[in-house]
Amino acid sequence: MPRPNPETAAFSVDGLEVNAPAGMMLADAAKFGDVEIPVFCYEPKLGPPVGACRMCLVEIEGIPKLQTACSTPVKDGMVVFTQTDRVKQAQEAVLEFLLINHPLDCPVCDAGGECPLQDITFGWGPGRSRFIEPKRHFVKPLALSPLIAIDRERCILCYRCVRFSQEVAEDYQLILEERGADTFVSTFDGHPYVAPFSGNIIELCPVGALTSQPYRFRARPWDIEGSGSVCTLCPAQCNVEFTVRDERVLRVMARDHHGVDDGWLCDKGRFAYQSVHVDQRVSHPLVRVDGELVPVSWDRALDEAAAALSAAGSDSAAIAGGETTNEEGWLLQELVRGGLGSANVDSRFGGMLPRELHAALHAPALQATVPDLEFAHAVLVLDCEPVDDAPILDLRIRKGVRRNGVKLAVATSRPSSLDANAAAVARFAPGAAEAFCAALNAAVGGHGVVAELAAAAGAQAADVLALAQLLTGAGDARSAGGSQGRADIVIVYGERLTHGARGEHAARALLNVAGHVVSAGHDGSGLLELPAGTNGRGLREAGMLPNAGPGLAEIGPAGLDTGAIGAAAAAGALSALYLLHVDPLRDLPSRRTWRTALQRADSVIAHAEFLSEGLWEHATVVFPSESYAEKEGTITHPDGRVQRLRPAIARPDAVRAEWNVLADLSRRLGHDPGILSGPMASAKLFEAVPFYAGITLDELGGRGLRWPARPASAAWPAADGGPFGLESPQQAPTPNGSLRLGRFRSIWAAAEVELSPALKFLRAHQRAELSPADARRLGLAHGDRVTVGSNGSRVSATVALRSGVPEGTVFLEQGIAQDSASELDDDLVEVSPA
Amino acid sequence: MSSPTILLAGIDEPGLNTIDVYRSHGGYDMARKALTEMTPQTVLDELLASGLRGRGGAGFPSGKKISFIPKANVDKYLVCNADESEPGTFKDRELMQKSPHMLIEGIIIGAYAAGANRSFIYIRGEYAEQADIIDAALVEATEAGFIGQNIMGSAFSLSLVLHRGAGAYICGEETGLLDSLEGKRGNPRLKPPFPANQGLYQGPTVINNVETLMTMPHILRMGGAEYAKIGTETSAGTKVVSVSGNVQRPGNYEIELGISSREIIYGLAGGPPEGREVKFWFPGGSSSPVLTKDDLDVPYDFDSLAKAKSMLGSGAIIVVDDTVPVVSVALKLAKFYKHESCGKCTPCREGTRWTVSMLERVDQGLATPMDLDIMASVQEQIIGNCLCVLGDAMAMPIGSMVAKFRDEFEAHIEAARAANPWLGDAEPDTDPVLIQGAAGA
Repeated sequence: MPRPNPETAAFSVDGLEVNAPAGMMLADAAKFGDVEIPVFCYEPKLGPPVGACRMCLVEIEGIPKLQTACSTPVKDGMVVFTQTDRVKQAQEAVLEFLLINHPLDCPVCDAGGECPLQDITFGWGPGRSRFIEPKRHFVKPLALSPLIAIDRERCILCYRCVRFSQEVAEDYQLILEERGADTFVSTFDGHPYVAPFSGNIIELCPVGALTSQPYRFRARPWDIEGSGSVCTLCPAQCNVEFTVRDERVLRVMARDHHGVDDGWLCDKGRFAYQSVHVDQRVSHPLVRVDGELVPVSWDRALDEAAAALSAAGSDSAAIAGGETTNEEGWLLQELVRGGLGSANVDSRFGGMLPRELHAALHAPALQATVPDLEFAHAVLVLDCEPVDDAPILDLRIRKGVRRNGVKLAVATSRPSSLDANAAAVARFAPGAAEAFCAALNAAVGGHGVVAELAAAAGAQAADVLALAQLLTGAGDARSAGGSQGRADIVIVYGERLTHGARGEHAARALLNVAGHVVSAGHDGSGLLELPAGTNGRGLREAGMLPNAGPGLAEIGPAGLDTGAIGAAAAAGALSALYLLHVDPLRDLPSRRTWRTALQRADSVIAHAEFLSEGLWEHATVVFPSESYAEKEGTITHPDGRVQRLRPAIARPDAVRAEWNVLADLSRRLGHDPGILSGPMASAKLFEAVPFYAGITLDELGGRGLRWPARPASAAWPAADGGPFGLESPQQAPTPNGSLRLGRFRSIWAAAEVELSPALKFLRAHQRAELSPADARRLGLAHGDRVTVGSNGSRVSATVALRSGVPEGTVFLEQGIAQDSASELDDDLVEVSPA
Repeated sequence: MSSPTILLAGIDEPGLNTIDVYRSHGGYDMARKALTEMTPQTVLDELLASGLRGRGGAGFPSGKKISFIPKANVDKYLVCNADESEPGTFKDRELMQKSPHMLIEGIIIGAYAAGANRSFIYIRGEYAEQADIIDAALVEATEAGFIGQNIMGSAFSLSLVLHRGAGAYICGEETGLLDSLEGKRGNPRLKPPFPANQGLYQGPTVINNVETLMTMPHILRMGGAEYAKIGTETSAGTKVVSVSGNVQRPGNYEIELGISSREIIYGLAGGPPEGREVKFWFPGGSSSPVLTKDDLDVPYDFDSLAKAKSMLGSGAIIVVDDTVPVVSVALKLAKFYKHESCGKCTPCREGTRWTVSMLERVDQGLATPMDLDIMASVQEQIIGNCLCVLGDAMAMPIGSMVAKFRDEFEAHIEAARAANPWLGDAEPDTDPVLIQGAAGA
């Protein structure tokens, strides 16, 4: 796909000679000459301009009528005037019109002080109004949703929110009702606007018509400070700005980064900041005394932890959750490997993957970037659900399809929200990713019989062939366009594809597919993994793997992976467990094994922000964790961008920096990492990971940088990228009357969602997603209560019928506090009325 | 009258709406001639030579419009704009009702010239009877093989779909019509891109008025050069004008462009009733600036009316005589445009509402002459600043009325004030109950 044109156009604006990218809209291009043209409805992120507000009218030589600068692409030699009497009259006219219905209640309006309407009125307005009739009135404010309040009197009908809903998020919920001066923004039938990205309309609104319910009346612009950091609630790692007042986070706003988030946020990222300030936060170190966790001094907690760990020695293991920073991950593996002599560290939850496969899957030459999703010829979404796994990428994929004609292929077990945008869709049985990749490999030119392999995956051979056709056929379009080489194909896959006993085989099959359709080393195409945890990629690179050290270095004999740690602990073979930002009962599969493991381990040392079930019942020492607004350090984006977290607020109560806690503990165990400050931890990390060599925090700045694009990336371990000879894949289980169990984690399955008062209403409850055919067979209807399970382990759920669910499959959520799918170990389950 | 009649000739013949009667008068012969004997380019050449200008309102040369359609091999569309909503305009209604096949034949010829294989008629929802008649004609034409694959043995195929609008004036604006046809809210689009490049479903689209398309078979019959001889140099041909208002014989009249307006209003339509005089008249639908009795001798063609600072528009002449107050005409008009404004762009949405409020105050005697200045200035703030021409459609006639009848507006305010018991020179109001908030004072 053509990327934005780098050519420039020379034009004149108000007599100034200005150069700007050719084809850029005048409203933006004028800024290159420091000329500001006021706009309301224009927002390039929303797509093509609509020219509705008429605020940006300018005079262009040779055109008799005034033109809207938002919709006029700049051309060489254009002569533009923005200050003439005609323009001035038009600007004053539009502002006078806009203000006749605006209540001018700025002193009590949340937007007051940061309001484009206010600013533009001061800058370009007539100063007084001649309008003496009554203004239009609405009941106000109304709850557009539990998160957003709408004040229709303040609305200037710029349509930004409606366009966002219809053309960016594509949830089609916001509409305009009535006509002319009676028009107002609404939802169909007045239903609440609840959608994963609804909060963006608050930021888009150029007046105070759409306000955040949790932020309403909390602060004025002169009370607050903005503090840039990165959201660590999911692997998308959106750049955010915390609005801080008196050491409290009051709001989260997007910090537009085209390489990461494109300026949008999901509602979890926008509203879950509330969990930073809830009473449930662990505020002091805790030690279990007589069965109860009691607050103690740091010295005592550290001493107890050190004593327990040195007693356990190599019979200890550590697991890091996704929100762990690179520095913390590096320090933890130092502590365990250096201080305890154990190799049992892991940050992946789905089994061990050979080191060379890690190296092959993430090789810089094969790495796709986030913007590639927007400009590729074709994108394959494989075994992941972007809106749940990395929500903001869902918007990016939609953008590519809508604006650049990207061909989208979706291959998942569970129906995807992107299905409707896809040119080809294939479904396979849950857990049959290996067989599916093998089938796809056969279909794009590899070995094997497509029909057999597709059957093994529980997929339709025709779907696999259509998908393959799309991936290989995209190249024809490219060669017709005159460029050389293969088409730009991006494969977005979920980490779960490489999970489980057959994970490494699935990874090899995926690499084979990539070998056929992706041109390695060619910018614009490649693989993009959505890790299961926020910093999944960074933790692996920092050495949090049982079979690889920092920088994916070769180490001695491999330690136990997460699953094996659980099994060993349950068997009584491990005496100390170190849990950094992870509660096995909530976050890990095989909940029953872990319950036993936590019970049998002599000591369970945890870092946690909140005491979830497993820690509440079993932890022996708990160190309070920093929230993401307090953290300092770096994390690595799935596409290799190292990003810097900067503390927005002070740590509350007794909370200490976690690099400090880990370094202190390491020191007490006789392995002093020699770190006295956060930046020192980062420097040590950059030293320890060869392909991070030379990175400095200054260089990372506010935008981060992609290490695969730096020269040091040559230090990435070389690995065989295939093609591999594939074993015959594992067959998907045959339901035989029972149902295949598929597991997924929804965007809302997070402690932060449950604990944020504003988001609580969205917290995930277990529901069994069934196909209508299975429901009919089982005599179940939408909304019925059922139990799902096998061999004595069962969870309760509410039936949710989805027409896209393949027959013979039921999907359950994991990562939730109650009735999580991780309670069930088998792949086939029975569903029966409760 | 000696005007040549082309479109209305024989139109009252019973049964003309059926294909047999229409064909007995040579119907579809011109479509056959175009498809079998002519190339799209030669058809287009005839249209260009005829000097035909669009009959819907803007008066853009029709041949030129078709020539803008790219030649590339993509899906192209022809849309017939039958959303005749301009107050005072009812020519398309009669034409479609009485001779629907002439429209279908025109669409075939226009689509052939444009290279469009898909065509639509967008008819306003209120024209239910006309829509039924076209529907029936469409069935006949399809059965007779004039619509469909390989029409009359040629390589040309055309589909034609009749779409009924839901009753919005803005859907007569060509881009609003396209959005509505696509199933969206009928709001005008930003131009460029123009429909000729990106219209219906983003494909090249030519949009023509009913009367324009119906003229095309006649142009082929007469030859473009011959047709161009009728009318004036820049306004060729005949035009069906709808005369309404205070005239004795309202109705549709086909005139040769360039005859004097007086001849239409007095000669054809009989002028105002006995003893009354023309006060002012709209020459081209309610959105054209008004002309007064001094302008009755202006030749009725595109350029002469433009020179008189008005426009030919849709060719709907509304005559207002001296018994009608100008304020009530202005208010009625402003209310119509306020109601029909789509609300997308600011000047039209807010300006129409404001104008109505001000006119209501004028009507009730609650205004001052200064309000007339504000009203005139508001009209100027609308004109030229909007996304489409709906705002201008109100601002131009209201502006012209205020300018030309300022004295009457002022007198109306005075009279209304005097007649208003709470405002006039009569005893000031002393009833405390009627003054809000003053009870018991």
